[in-house]
Amino acid sequence: MSAAFQPSSRKSWRLATGFAFAALACATLLGGVSAWLLGSVAIAGLSAAAFTFNFHIPAAFIRLFAIGRTAARYGERLTGHQAALADQLSRRVGFFAAMAAAPAVRRAGWQFGDDARLADYLDDVEDLDYARLRAGLPALTLACGLTVLIVGSAALAPLSLLPIGLLLLAILFMGNRVAKAGALALGQTRSLRRGGASRLGAAMASAVPLKAERAWSHECAEALAALSGADGELLALRRLQARLDMIGAVFGPVAGIGVMAAAWHAGRLGSELLLPMLLAFSWLALGEAVNGASRMLVAVLRRNAARAEVDQWTRGASRDRHVPTPRSFEPRMLLHGGLQRRAPDGRPIGALLALHLEKGRPTMLAGASGSGKTSLLKQIAGWIGEDGFAAGDRILSAAERRALAALVLHDAVILEDTVRANLFAGDVPDAALWRALEAVEMDSRIREAGGLDAWIRQDRFSLGEVQRINLARAWLSSRPLMLLDEPTEHLDDEQGQRILERLLAHLDDRIVVVSIHRAPPLRDVRTVELQP
Amino acid sequence: MKIAAVPAPSSGPGASAPAAFKALSTAGRLARHGLHGLLALQAIRAALRLGFAATAAMAAGRLVMDAAVDPWLIAAALAFLAAACFAGFAADSVQASAENAVSTRLRTLAGERLSEMPARQLQSLSIGSLVVSMQRHPESIAALQVGHRAATAMMAAGPLLSALVLCFVSWQAALLIICLTPVMVLFFALIGNAIRRRADAQERAFGRLAGQFADRIRTLPTILANHAMAGEEAKLARRLEAYADKTMSVLRIAFANAGIIDFFASLSIALLAVFLGLGHLKLATIPGFSGLELWQSLFILMIAPEYFAPFRRFSEQYHAKAEGQAAAAALDRLLDAEPVAAKTLPALDRLRLTLPAHGLIAIVGPSGSGKSTLLRRLAGLESGAMPTPETHPLATGEIAWVSTDAYVPEGSLAEAISWNAGAVDRNRLEDVASAIGLLDDALLPGGLDARLDKGGANLSGGQRLRIAVARALLCGRAVLADEPTAKLDRNTAEAVRRMLVEISTTRLVVVATHDRDLSAAADTIVDLARGDAVEVAA
Repeated sequence: MSAAFQPSSRKSWRLATGFAFAALACATLLGGVSAWLLGSVAIAGLSAAAFTFNFHIPAAFIRLFAIGRTAARYGERLTGHQAALADQLSRRVGFFAAMAAAPAVRRAGWQFGDDARLADYLDDVEDLDYARLRAGLPALTLACGLTVLIVGSAALAPLSLLPIGLLLLAILFMGNRVAKAGALALGQTRSLRRGGASRLGAAMASAVPLKAERAWSHECAEALAALSGADGELLALRRLQARLDMIGAVFGPVAGIGVMAAAWHAGRLGSELLLPMLLAFSWLALGEAVNGASRMLVAVLRRNAARAEVDQWTRGASRDRHVPTPRSFEPRMLLHGGLQRRAPDGRPIGALLALHLEKGRPTMLAGASGSGKTSLLKQIAGWIGEDGFAAGDRILSAAERRALAALVLHDAVILEDTVRANLFAGDVPDAALWRALEAVEMDSRIREAGGLDAWIRQDRFSLGEVQRINLARAWLSSRPLMLLDEPTEHLDDEQGQRILERLLAHLDDRIVVVSIHRAPPLRDVRTVELQP
Repeated sequence: MKIAAVPAPSSGPGASAPAAFKALSTAGRLARHGLHGLLALQAIRAALRLGFAATAAMAAGRLVMDAAVDPWLIAAALAFLAAACFAGFAADSVQASAENAVSTRLRTLAGERLSEMPARQLQSLSIGSLVVSMQRHPESIAALQVGHRAATAMMAAGPLLSALVLCFVSWQAALLIICLTPVMVLFFALIGNAIRRRADAQERAFGRLAGQFADRIRTLPTILANHAMAGEEAKLARRLEAYADKTMSVLRIAFANAGIIDFFASLSIALLAVFLGLGHLKLATIPGFSGLELWQSLFILMIAPEYFAPFRRFSEQYHAKAEGQAAAAALDRLLDAEPVAAKTLPALDRLRLTLPAHGLIAIVGPSGSGKSTLLRRLAGLESGAMPTPETHPLATGEIAWVSTDAYVPEGSLAEAISWNAGAVDRNRLEDVASAIGLLDDALLPGGLDARLDKGGANLSGGQRLRIAVARALLCGRAVLADEPTAKLDRNTAEAVRRMLVEISTTRLVVVATHDRDLSAAADTIVDLARGDAVEVAA
């Protein structure tokens, strides 16, 4: 996927770089040549040379630089963004695929279900997306501009290298300090923000108990103080940036003055000073570009921090995303003589469990909250652990079961997409989709929302409605191993029972495992009581 | 024994809604002080830069024209430069501090607002968007009310100052660039309109695609569980590409804005350089452009970019405005949400009962009959008729609340249990934790030192509830418990019941419950289904 977008981005980057060089060159030359022209004509104006002075060529150049600067800047912005967007596209699709292949996604509690975590992640990805545009490209052109002007200064006024060199050293020194302190401050900001956000989230989730115990205000204020503490860290960074910018602002003018002074010191006078003046005004113009140095530096710091953070979500991504098991294989039963149940982090739970899962006879996993029902379902689904289950004469590995199982998570969510896309049923005819929605008693609600092609979002539905859409997905799934996690959660007892009975009847040709908090009276099911 | 319910005086409607939060104007008020200082510093900086331009131009012009250059001129130029840079540094620092102060204060005010909000309303807010809002929005609003406003003000002050200084040398040159400004502003307006139109059109057609990456990351486990990865990956790529294309078409116009400033800034330099050059050559006699000294024309050349710099700085901030306004609107929406009306529950209003100083009181009745509401009224979280306590009103804060959404701070299990429970002896803590079955819990290994994730994310509802019960036992306050035995296995439920009964020998314990065994152990049963009667057990 990503390879397809690479060439277009490379071409755009090349163009953007070209434009950036052109823009910087035009900007510096516009200032320099204008000043040179004024000096030349002022000297020529004193004598008869005024009438022979070729005014039109430099004037034409000045107009060219003015137009060139405008056009090249526009081109730089446009192609730069085009390149960054092309990179963004391939990078984001790549992240999505790599995250899906990483083990973290299958474990308990998906972090990015949490808005604050998701927003932080998006910031990180954006910092990666735009680092090259904000730092890489301007730094490259600035470095080249500096080199050219330094060479020019060395040729015209060698002594000017002294103040220029000293200031460059000061900028490097200060930049180094900002980089060190900034990396620290960004890390600190991140942890404070995260701490504050999770504390505030926890307080909000326990609003009633906290309010009842008169502890709400204190907890809320502490959480907000952590968030403000994070802002305080950023403030310290901005102050440091301001210092760097102060030195940056001195640089161009001092370099210009240095060139003039050094040339004068070397004994140049009058028209001999015209070229140094061109150079000095070029330094002034380049100085404007140095002003953005602190922003470039911070963009780099952010990129580094973001990269470390984002990589963590794709760590351990397995390369082989294609599972060898043919989809057509339909096990009649799954057996495990003594399964060591595991918590999402791999820790063993409880005694060994014998499991006998068979087609046509649903297995109900009953147990109190916290007894590990969801974890066991994930283990059967091959999401946790590396157990093998016997299926007739073969052993099904975790990866093979992953391909065979439809895991109906109790915290499944709605994608921002059409109803049809949310049912994940592929090319199933509309009638079948409506039948599924009827079975879960969502047909009228969906009709009201605008039918199968209506665009839906999670926040337009109640928890019960989300649960029922989730059960419609189960209804439409064709996988031979159906694992339902708390299918009646968020539904009232009668409706839950009704829908579950319908669903189990519909799935009577599959292996079905249902985790349930309170087992309803159902015929012909096998019940496994889980003890923590 | 049955107590007839006597109608209790109905309380009036809840307190009227507080005044609107108005994040934007509040922040504006908070920003006023810092903004004045910032503007003063920015103006000083602009003036000092003009001073530098004047002295540097004078020195350079005189050098080239072979005139004597006073050393004080060079010194003055350097002094102006240093002072301007320092003023710039001060302005940047003041801006950062002012924005920080505004955002911190705004966040605190928002927090106070949350504290005033009734629990029912807090519960109706989306936790995720509230957290994001509290985290980010104050900052964006502060940036709008400090940085953006300063840039707006400087867009008027900066060019005026430059033009004024220019008048000393050539009022005609000043007039020229001032005349360019309305043309530029006209282009601004035209392009601004075009951007808005195109962005609106894009929003209408493609707004749905804006959050697709975030949405697919959020929903990744669901996508995997439904084996939809391959299809979603291809779809995501398609949609991101479509969105990027549309974004580029908006940017193409949006960048024209910056392009116009570049164009006029460049044009002004080119125009001035040519006019001034012709003047020096005496080829043309343009009033205000001929007969000038070299330093004067160099000065004009240096001022021209200064004139346009504030426009550029303002245009760089265009997104700060949109972001800040959106943030303020979002914050207002959260904090000025309509109060959530409580359901009317006549059964509760008819209830008349005096709560004893100790004993177990069970509130029973079907779902929706008002059990939890009654508990909340007892805790003072909602207004309405409620039983009068014998000794002192419960709502003064002497309450321990037990429910599956009990608060669990970050830290060890021991810290979670003793949170808000006063000083607790470690041995006693261990006894209580063990009695309620928290120590032999296979899902929470490590005993009292087990680490709990932030917000107790690694705890089940049953574990949270047991922590709350243990805390209630230790803290010595009256206990209000909402469904304390639901979601627990038989043994643990029994342990919770035992513990609640134990507490009730010395303190008041009110439970809202479906659990027959628990209500059977109660001294008094309030049956909300019967409405007109309260049964008191022997």
